[in-house]
Amino acid sequence: MYGKRKLTALAAVAAFSLSLALSACGGENTAATTQPTGLPTTVPTTVPTALPSMPGAAGGEFGPACATIPKDPANPGSLEMMAKQPVATAAAANPQLSTLAAAIQAGELADTLNNAEAVTVFAPTNEAFAKIPKADLDKVLADKELLKKILAYHVVDGKTAPDALAGTHKTLEGQDITVTGSGTEFKVNDTAMIVCGNIQTRNGVVYLVDSVLMPPS
Amino acid sequence: MRQLIRPALSGLLAAAGGVAAGELVASLVRPESSPLVAIGGTVIDATPTPVKEYAVATFGTYDKPLLIGTILVVLAALAAAVGVLAVHHRTAALLAIGALGLVGAAAALTRPTARPIDALPALLAGAVSAGLLAWLAPKAAPAAPPPVVGPTTAVDGAHPRDPAAIPAAGAGEASPDDSAAVLPSQRTGRTERRSFLIAAGLVALGTALAGGLAAIIRRSGAQAADEAREAITLPAPADPGPPPEKTPGFYTPNQDFYRVDIALTVPRVDPRQWTLQLTGMVDRPTELTFDDLLKQQLIERDITLNCVSNEVGGPYVGNARWLGVPLAPLLRAAGVQAGADQIVARGADGITIGTPVATVLDGRDAMLALGMNGRPLPAEHGFPVRMLTPGLYGYVGAAKWITSLELATFSSFDAYWVQRGWAAMGPVKTASRIDRPKAFARLTAGTVPVAGVAWAQHRGISAVEVQVDDAPWQQATLLPVPSTDTWVQWTWNWPAATAGSHTLRVRAVDGTGALQTEQRADPFPDGASGWQSVLVTVA
Repeated sequence: MYGKRKLTALAAVAAFSLSLALSACGGENTAATTQPTGLPTTVPTTVPTALPSMPGAAGGEFGPACATIPKDPANPGSLEMMAKQPVATAAAANPQLSTLAAAIQAGELADTLNNAEAVTVFAPTNEAFAKIPKADLDKVLADKELLKKILAYHVVDGKTAPDALAGTHKTLEGQDITVTGSGTEFKVNDTAMIVCGNIQTRNGVVYLVDSVLMPPS
Repeated sequence: MRQLIRPALSGLLAAAGGVAAGELVASLVRPESSPLVAIGGTVIDATPTPVKEYAVATFGTYDKPLLIGTILVVLAALAAAVGVLAVHHRTAALLAIGALGLVGAAAALTRPTARPIDALPALLAGAVSAGLLAWLAPKAAPAAPPPVVGPTTAVDGAHPRDPAAIPAAGAGEASPDDSAAVLPSQRTGRTERRSFLIAAGLVALGTALAGGLAAIIRRSGAQAADEAREAITLPAPADPGPPPEKTPGFYTPNQDFYRVDIALTVPRVDPRQWTLQLTGMVDRPTELTFDDLLKQQLIERDITLNCVSNEVGGPYVGNARWLGVPLAPLLRAAGVQAGADQIVARGADGITIGTPVATVLDGRDAMLALGMNGRPLPAEHGFPVRMLTPGLYGYVGAAKWITSLELATFSSFDAYWVQRGWAAMGPVKTASRIDRPKAFARLTAGTVPVAGVAWAQHRGISAVEVQVDDAPWQQATLLPVPSTDTWVQWTWNWPAATAGSHTLRVRAVDGTGALQTEQRADPFPDGASGWQSVLVTVA
């Protein structure tokens, strides 16, 4: 009891002095950072975001494949860095998404994804693309219209949080996808497992899936 | 473990008191000298430059408070450890806490905008912390462990919640088998505990007062700067700009103008205390006040400014009507010495920006801007004075909160972003952007208006072309512009858009007749390039 009480007091004093010092030196920060425009304030380098001990804005991601995401916050493929980048640039930095990045480039979709207001991307991993026979994959990559159609079928308008994930979503291709599951286990169209979900990027949220989704028609 | 709580608490309180005192002094002397802000800035600078291709990062809403918070948590942990250290090694603990003050002072002194006095708050913080610890530590000294035998256990049982039941150090002479002898030690323990709590309370109170006062002073300082800004009536330009363009979107409202900087807190500079030093390789070093600038022959110009970190199609570009002092005459009056090829501008946020002398002197409207869209510069955009160099990316031509201009050479000094791998020369690349329709827009078949902007400041834009899928490129209509230094708004009607998904592309031709390059480049190290495309669906 004794120890607990003192610890509580200690924590209270610590919290108090922290909040005090924060207001003492950071009082004006609110004005600076809450810009009415919603325009992000950026700096042309990663320096400030690469602080090793700093808890990143990233968080809330789930799934077994998240473990393979680079841990070093300075790595462009890390969750911290992806959170700062527009979605196509962020995906291109993730080593698990290099085939997708190549497909996005071939389909000329990078600008559209990067400049979209807010999107949810179901991003097939390299393993997902590897499930497609090479001849078929090459055929798709060479057919720009088909490629665009397939890629757009992986994108949903707006940022979809995990708690709103289950259900039917209209993709930007026009046809629906259906997500089933709950908690941290989800399947898309009954075929693709979400292997790492809720990765934040500047303008989109990314769910890594282990199979490429095919538009029904 | 529990014997360590009071020592840890005393270390924490001593540090909190010191930090609060330091912040109070900083708020009185110079807000920039805040030890916490100085350490924060140093941490940012010391962090290794990460992989460059992806070196475009958001200074998001949380990063700065998180940074300061992290520093505080680390400091709190160190302080608690020092408090514990003080139990057996008081001198070492005092030296350690003093060393923390020195670290803060070193951080403050090595900031790019440092003045000697900036060391004061951190040194004072160290001294106050050491003093408080010297006072608190004896009161926090932990008690000797309780004897394990009989009566004491009974006493413990009688006062299960009372820490004073643990005999204090020095009470050990009391015979453990004489329960009566325990009572004085109990009293001593209580007295000690009370005296520690009173002392701790006093320190906490003092910390709260000093911290609160610092916050109030700081806020009133910012307020004074804001009020001084509000009170400014911008003089009429001696050389007014052309009649303002009437097309919606030509000017970017101040509150919508992109902001890219390294400021941990937006500098609030009081123009009455502000001066601009014109130094370095000049014959006549000059100091100018804000009033001096207001008395100059002011020019009014429409200039588009963009950030080197903008991706293809990205948002970090804006256009405003600026009021300012032409920079070239100021430089000529100061007498630029032979060999000086770089102007190093320093800002109150610690930025350094290097601009080629030749560019500023080549006749373009490089200026020290005081006004933006008819208002004094907003604090976020560099009040009281920022630099503008039409035709250059902001990171090489548009320092904000400017405090000095030093004539130097490129070979002798690398500015902030150049140190981080970005190109020393940053002429803007010709770029064009589709603003309508939006990415992934769903359109109805028929005629679809397509519109956007294109920019190649100081070269101008002579043509913009739009392509739908793989159809031939079409000429867009360019809206009139006042000069080559602004972006150009363009429109094109997409006739008979058919059902299906379509890709729109845009490209521009600059005033020299050069076609915007299709070659894709990332923003790092000298700006993005490539033709922007937008996928839309027509239903």
